[in-house]
Amino acid sequence: MVRAALTPTRRIGKAPWRYARYVPAATVIAASLLASLPIISMSGWYPDFGYLVFVGWRLLRADPWPAWWAAPLGFVNDLFTGYPLGFSIALWSATMLVLDLIDRRTMWRDYRTEWVLAGVLIAIDEWLQWRIADLVGGAPPFSQMAPPVIISVCVFPLFAWMVSRIDAWRLGR
Amino acid sequence: MATARPGWSRRAQYGLFFSLIAVIAGIIVGLILLTMSLVAPHQFQRVRGAALDVTGPVAGALHEVSATAEGLFTGAGNYWDAANQNAGLKRERQAMLRRMVEAKAIFQENRQLKAVLQLREHERSTIAVGRIVGSSFNSPRRFAILSVGANDGVKIGMPVRSPDGLIGRIIDAGALASRVLLVSDHANIVPARLLRNGIPVIAQGRGDGTVDVRPLEVGRNPFKRGDIIITSGTGGLYPPLVAIARVVKLDDDGAVALPLADPATTSFAIVEPPFEPAAAASPGASSSAEVP
Repeated sequence: MVRAALTPTRRIGKAPWRYARYVPAATVIAASLLASLPIISMSGWYPDFGYLVFVGWRLLRADPWPAWWAAPLGFVNDLFTGYPLGFSIALWSATMLVLDLIDRRTMWRDYRTEWVLAGVLIAIDEWLQWRIADLVGGAPPFSQMAPPVIISVCVFPLFAWMVSRIDAWRLGR
Repeated sequence: MATARPGWSRRAQYGLFFSLIAVIAGIIVGLILLTMSLVAPHQFQRVRGAALDVTGPVAGALHEVSATAEGLFTGAGNYWDAANQNAGLKRERQAMLRRMVEAKAIFQENRQLKAVLQLREHERSTIAVGRIVGSSFNSPRRFAILSVGANDGVKIGMPVRSPDGLIGRIIDAGALASRVLLVSDHANIVPARLLRNGIPVIAQGRGDGTVDVRPLEVGRNPFKRGDIIITSGTGGLYPPLVAIARVVKLDDDGAVALPLADPATTSFAIVEPPFEPAAAASPGASSSAEVP
């Protein structure tokens, strides 16, 4: 915020876009829809796009959407990715709660802290997916989960950057 | 709900409190739905089918584009070293012709023997033919999206195969698209046997695109590299004599096999009725865990 206020290139007449309030949620849904891309992979190493964008928005802003929106957004993600229904609803709501608790505790934050935070959340997400697949007898050996976790953590900065660009655009900066 | 205390405003404090309650309610609702979808996966059939109908046709259209682009590159590649390829193919064709005559003779003999024994032959019918247009590329499970659905007669539990071999079985069916549990998923257990000597084996997915095969009887490892695994028809869900996989690596008491029908390159996927119709009615009969 402060840095944005100090930039001299700001022009008069620029204002937040009319539907700026709904942009974050819309981008999360769009990211969930990426699961329907015609990629036929036999390894399952692609990241959970919806969750990456969700965490990206929540780390950028404390209130990208009303807290209870996490549940319907998770529902959409469950439907399109084929996860067992309810998985993302619970996980995304819990993410909102946990990040709020962390917001209270931390005095300051920088880029690396957020990356570590996102990395931990992504690892928990992948572990829970594996755990639930294990419950119905569909889980590969746990060692196979290392590549998707590493890939997701590595691409998170890219998603965080895209989210920050979209945020600047929706606010008319 | 970003800060602990938003100030002295009662309204702001209540707002904060209610959003906390809403989030906790979201977690509880999610956990209840998750438990339900793990314990009784059939309850959400309709809503999952509707989601498939939204994404299936989109994926199908995008698949056309990517398949065309891919076809341009592989098409160009075929011209490389064409003369040598041609000679090799001619040699192969000669060998194949000889084998085909043998096979035809065996087929006729087989038919005569069956007639003598008065065996009832199962006719193999096709419910629908579709294309694989997507997959669960961000999950530890191995699912694929098929471009045909309930409108074409596809129902949950039907086996899916391609001309090359077995692909899997239907677990979600929308009106326009359906979801297939691939043979490489860890929850998909297929009763099978070795083509070479008919030894009964069990094929179970490994979650990474390969299949784990184990003999039913413990003892000597019956597998050799290059062995073909075919379905046995036991359990009644999958039709017998459909190729599943080729053994690529031996381990202590079994082997790792590569499915012959690669969903990424297969052009058609054929949905067939369950081999024994009773098998589809009871999901437990397929000797595998329930799948959400």
